[in-house]
Amino acid sequence: MQKKSSIHNLFSLISYKEKKEINDFYIPEINEEDKHVQNNSKQSSIKSETTNLSVDADDNNISTIMQANIEYLFKKFNYPVNKDFVMREFLVAGKYKAFIAYIDGMVDRVTINNFILRPLLNFTNLPDMGNDSQLDFLLKNVLETNQAEKVTKPADIVYGILSGNTCLYVDGCSYYLSCETKGFEKRGVETPQTEGLVRGPQEAFNENLRTNVTLIRRLIKDTNLTTEFVKVGKRTNVQCAVVYINGIINPAIVQEVKRRLTGISADLVMGDGMLEQFIEDSSYTVVPTILSTERPDRTASHLLEGRIAIIVDGTPFALIAPVTLHSFMHTPEETFFKWPVGSLIRLIRIFAVFVAALLPALYIGMVGYHTEMIPTDLMIAIISAKENVPFPTVLEVLLMELSFELIREAGVRIPGLIGNTLGIIGALILGQAAVQANIVSPVLIIIVAVTGLGNFAIPNFSVAFAVRIIRFAFIFGAALLGFYGIGLVLVAVIALLSNMKSFGVPFLSITAPKTSTSGDLIFKKPVWKQEKRPDNINPLDVRRQPNISRKWAQEDAESEERKNIDDGRRDEDA
Amino acid sequence: MLKEGKIGLAEAVSITTLLIITKIFYSSTAVVVKKTGTAAWYMTIISFLTSMLLFTLVYILMKRFPGKNIIEIFQIVLGRFIGKSLGLGFSAFILYYSAMSLREFLELLKAYVLPYTPPSLIFASFICVTILLAYLGFEVIARVSYISIYPVLIGLGILLILASTYYKVDNIKPFFGYGLNTTMYNGVMRSSAYAEVMLLAVAMNTLKDTKTFKKAGYISLVFGGAFFSICLLLYVMAFSYTIGSENLSGMFQLSRIIYLSRFVQRVESLFLFIWVISSVVTVSISFYMSMATYCKVFDIPSQKPLVYVFGILLFTLAILPKNLSEVIEIHMIVIRQYSGIWVFGGPIIVLLISLLLRKKGGSIKDEKI
Repeated sequence: MQKKSSIHNLFSLISYKEKKEINDFYIPEINEEDKHVQNNSKQSSIKSETTNLSVDADDNNISTIMQANIEYLFKKFNYPVNKDFVMREFLVAGKYKAFIAYIDGMVDRVTINNFILRPLLNFTNLPDMGNDSQLDFLLKNVLETNQAEKVTKPADIVYGILSGNTCLYVDGCSYYLSCETKGFEKRGVETPQTEGLVRGPQEAFNENLRTNVTLIRRLIKDTNLTTEFVKVGKRTNVQCAVVYINGIINPAIVQEVKRRLTGISADLVMGDGMLEQFIEDSSYTVVPTILSTERPDRTASHLLEGRIAIIVDGTPFALIAPVTLHSFMHTPEETFFKWPVGSLIRLIRIFAVFVAALLPALYIGMVGYHTEMIPTDLMIAIISAKENVPFPTVLEVLLMELSFELIREAGVRIPGLIGNTLGIIGALILGQAAVQANIVSPVLIIIVAVTGLGNFAIPNFSVAFAVRIIRFAFIFGAALLGFYGIGLVLVAVIALLSNMKSFGVPFLSITAPKTSTSGDLIFKKPVWKQEKRPDNINPLDVRRQPNISRKWAQEDAESEERKNIDDGRRDEDA
Repeated sequence: MLKEGKIGLAEAVSITTLLIITKIFYSSTAVVVKKTGTAAWYMTIISFLTSMLLFTLVYILMKRFPGKNIIEIFQIVLGRFIGKSLGLGFSAFILYYSAMSLREFLELLKAYVLPYTPPSLIFASFICVTILLAYLGFEVIARVSYISIYPVLIGLGILLILASTYYKVDNIKPFFGYGLNTTMYNGVMRSSAYAEVMLLAVAMNTLKDTKTFKKAGYISLVFGGAFFSICLLLYVMAFSYTIGSENLSGMFQLSRIIYLSRFVQRVESLFLFIWVISSVVTVSISFYMSMATYCKVFDIPSQKPLVYVFGILLFTLAILPKNLSEVIEIHMIVIRQYSGIWVFGGPIIVLLISLLLRKKGGSIKDEKI
């Protein structure tokens, strides 16, 4: 029996098995919407929630006896071993037993002392009106915090305490009160670290989720701007804000993002970088398919185009989806400049990508295989410089690339000012010494330096990394087969890129497959001519502005026309 | 049913256009000039007109069976056995076409660029990329061809402009070449050079409707015809018909003679890129189409398990011819001169039979039910 199964297993390795059909997510056209929603969503039944009066406190029930609840919370928070958890028992109005519980450090003590404890202790005229109504009364008349709500599920109050709220319980009640008292240390709103601009707002997200959402809301003062919260990570319980503009975004995207977020069943989800890996479409690609930005204005502009933003509590970045390769080549800078400048900046960036990816490979191919295309004078210069170098060109290139990467990595790790100095000095001295020691040729130093510059000019850090990896594929292709090899790798890279998807949107879409553009792809149209939103994400509202968005221009033209007619009449009269 | 996805008009046009125009990089240019002399540039217009006519007939057939690809139509009209056999023949022919294109590319690459590299390495690396493209599927191939058609056309345009210092109008005289008869005969026969447009009929399911099929076909034919005509005209103007008939690869030779200044000279290696890109994409399209036809004949739901087997077949077929002259004198003549009889002829016979038997596919709605 054992033998048979092992033979069976062996055959199953080489035989064709039909793959389990996976329903690919795609963004439906607007009229397809209803059908898609039906297919994609599982019918969820809403259970009627009933509160049971019970004596025991457990994960499902809140006891009506205070001691049981105290014990439940102690057990939950591993008290007294866990010193962060604080519980204070007291009497409300001098006669009703009650307690508050919170986590030290997460809360604002002033709020608790002045606006929860003081009113509760000083209050004297609590009418006798049944247990549950008493808490209601306290909520309405006594507590002085801005946010306080009834919580009927033990899991919710535990999460509330974990995120910095204070829990209040009065003996005999079947629910808790959760008062908003968050008051942990946080960084202020500072300037962007990696996406700095010459013109435009100089604000960046920080680690506080509320601040981040507010930064966006400040830019888009629209009632349709919607924020939903999803908890992610079994143990980290990170709060994620899903931000979108209702009425612009295709609802299928929202549904899919929420489906993926709630579908994560992992211990640890920390920060946007990890979350990105959990929800992206293709994990085995070097190029990212979700855009990460630290700029509220950039996030806002993507939201207005019909995309969704996911902000994870604790990281100063927003994740934006679905995006295409073009989005990674854009920065808000172009929008703030006039269109010719913006277009030029983008062209330079595309050139930078080509330089960063291809220049060393082209050099290897040219020197090794296609020497005829180098003019004789230049050829002599290259050869005489290379004469004393004992290594083949590809080895030289790899050596220099490797040292360059080393300098860069070391520069990042070394603290503060020394890092910058090390980068410049290291590159200068190392390059000079390598040339003098006849390990590499001087032309190559130029090639590697320009390649490095090209790489730094790529606006997105993840894409710059991807280009660094792809560069090595081109180098090997060129070393093996010259320009022919580069051509082959190029086709393979384009094929792999066009196979990628970001939340159902083909990664190279707008270009291939061709869809209508928003006038803001590579060459920018003037802002008043960018009338439509990008078509590849099927937004509900395609039009961004009417055909004539500068009404004054029309008025000017009309008044000019009127003036001409008047002049004509006057001439006739004369 | 093979899952192929959907492609738009732009992608469909770029696929067929790329397939048609890639020949200009190969031996085709010189062969045409050899056969028809100075009349080459309008001979290709005759070929183009002939293929327009033949394509129209195929379009009539496709219109009778809306939503069906040509393999399904074969089976509906001729019955399962003959239909499937004909489909299988098509699949074999497309594979043969793919292999011979690869071999011709290899021969020219060896002659001009990589004389010391073993052919098997060139084959193997080429086929690896081809397999990757075919594995990723038709949508990806369509996107890649749409992206690559821009550099190919722009590059060729620049090449033709840079070589303009060599153009002499006197070189296209005498206007009638070797006589109208020769030109007409070759023109009609060489309509096979536009037979690639028939691949649209195989990929019918990926198109929106028969109208897109018609549009894509006509646009790429017109485009290919104009392109060939201009290229041949300028080629003859640059080389004259005597030297022009001796070059191995006409366009590559043209790029070789470019000399603008001491710095801009011998730039053919840059044109190697567009040559390689268009060749890889062309072979990948035909390679995929061969598999797709095979899958459609035998109702195989995915081409993915077939790619390796077909890859080996492609390698074997490509390595079969003994030398360059066998490729050019036998296989290329078969493909570019006589294949039209089979590629256009088959469907047209099927059209006649369907007219005689009054067989007709219902509307798309009925078919779905």
